[in-house]
Amino acid sequence: MTSGESRLDLEAIFELQYERIARVIARVLRDPARAEELAVEVFLKLSRRKKVQGDSAQAWLYRVAVRAGLDELRRESRRMRREQLLAFGRKPPTPEEIHVSNQEQERVRAVLEAIPARDAELLILRSDGLSYDELASALSLRPSSIGTFLNRAGQTFRKEYVKRYGQQ
Amino acid sequence: MGSNSDQDKWIENRLDSLRPAPEWQPDTVRGLARFRQQRDGTGGHGRRFTWIAAAAVAVGLPLMAFPSTRAFAQRCVSACVSQSTWVMDLFAGSRSAGALAAGYVKPADRRMAPDFELNDVSGKPVRLSELRGSVVLLNFWATWCAPCGLEIPWFIEFQGNYRSRGFGVLGVSLDEDGWTAIQPYIEQRKVNYRVVAGNDEIAQMYKAESLPMTFIVDRSGRIASTHVGLCSKNEYQSVIQTVLTEEE
Repeated sequence: MTSGESRLDLEAIFELQYERIARVIARVLRDPARAEELAVEVFLKLSRRKKVQGDSAQAWLYRVAVRAGLDELRRESRRMRREQLLAFGRKPPTPEEIHVSNQEQERVRAVLEAIPARDAELLILRSDGLSYDELASALSLRPSSIGTFLNRAGQTFRKEYVKRYGQQ
Repeated sequence: MGSNSDQDKWIENRLDSLRPAPEWQPDTVRGLARFRQQRDGTGGHGRRFTWIAAAAVAVGLPLMAFPSTRAFAQRCVSACVSQSTWVMDLFAGSRSAGALAAGYVKPADRRMAPDFELNDVSGKPVRLSELRGSVVLLNFWATWCAPCGLEIPWFIEFQGNYRSRGFGVLGVSLDEDGWTAIQPYIEQRKVNYRVVAGNDEIAQMYKAESLPMTFIVDRSGRIASTHVGLCSKNEYQSVIQTVLTEEE
């Protein structure tokens, strides 16, 4: 196979999958433009791999995308915390900022960040509409244990959420 | 906290709040352009290296040009060269040691591999403890697991190359559909080693929650190494060779 052919393959995969992959990452991040940048990086990673092409590419893309999103979310939060620390005593947060931080999205993100990564990955991909089989191949789990894992992930999520924000 | 489906609904609602705004649409065309540009770009590393090399030449050439500074410049160059080979040796050394270190356990610290008895395709029981005296590569896999399929040709090769030295591969399939799924698969892939049908009990015993998962068992039935997920062929090979040459 010539490299020209595999390039075309990759671009075909890109055209088919880019939107879904960008959407998965955009679920996790606050900034959709950054999500698109990261999605492109995910495909660049794929292009550097020789083995993962064809059918297994989709599962691989989902896994790498959701991990890239969660990693970026953690980096972002660390940066924000550092900035808050540096800005300590300088100015109180505006009502708008308080409103933003109270939003449901921010709560869900904070909880996803706090729980184990695999639980967060499962919940995000599931809410993006992946089937049990797709989840199993994306996260290298046995299809028969996906139900159990999802249930456990849900419980972990709820416990953390209630711990932070009380019973809703 | 309510029933299971209540919880499912609750979680679904929470996570649904993350749905991107409906008016936002990922731009595939722009994305693809960016993708092509970054893929075909020479890359930051290459460019940075070129700049450093150019700067070194720009400083080095004038130094070389004058006899009074030539000796100094030559000493700088030879120091650089010897340093870099020293650093390369260091990396090469740690890399070969690292390949063995991943998941490898020294003989004194090994634990016994849990024993089990499972049937092979002809219905004949295979017991792990009966294979004592040989080094066994115990591979948990399934027909639906793509990375497992990548490793199978390596195992076929290992089985051929090392069998005469007292080595064997034992595949434990965790397919839910049992032999109806496994048999056509192993026939098509021309698997030359023994495969048995596993169950939840053995998966729990070996904590094989994700696949592939591989153990190399030494001649006295102890686990010499554990490999989770897809590994490199070299990693398996170096452990097999080490364990084969160990004293009994």
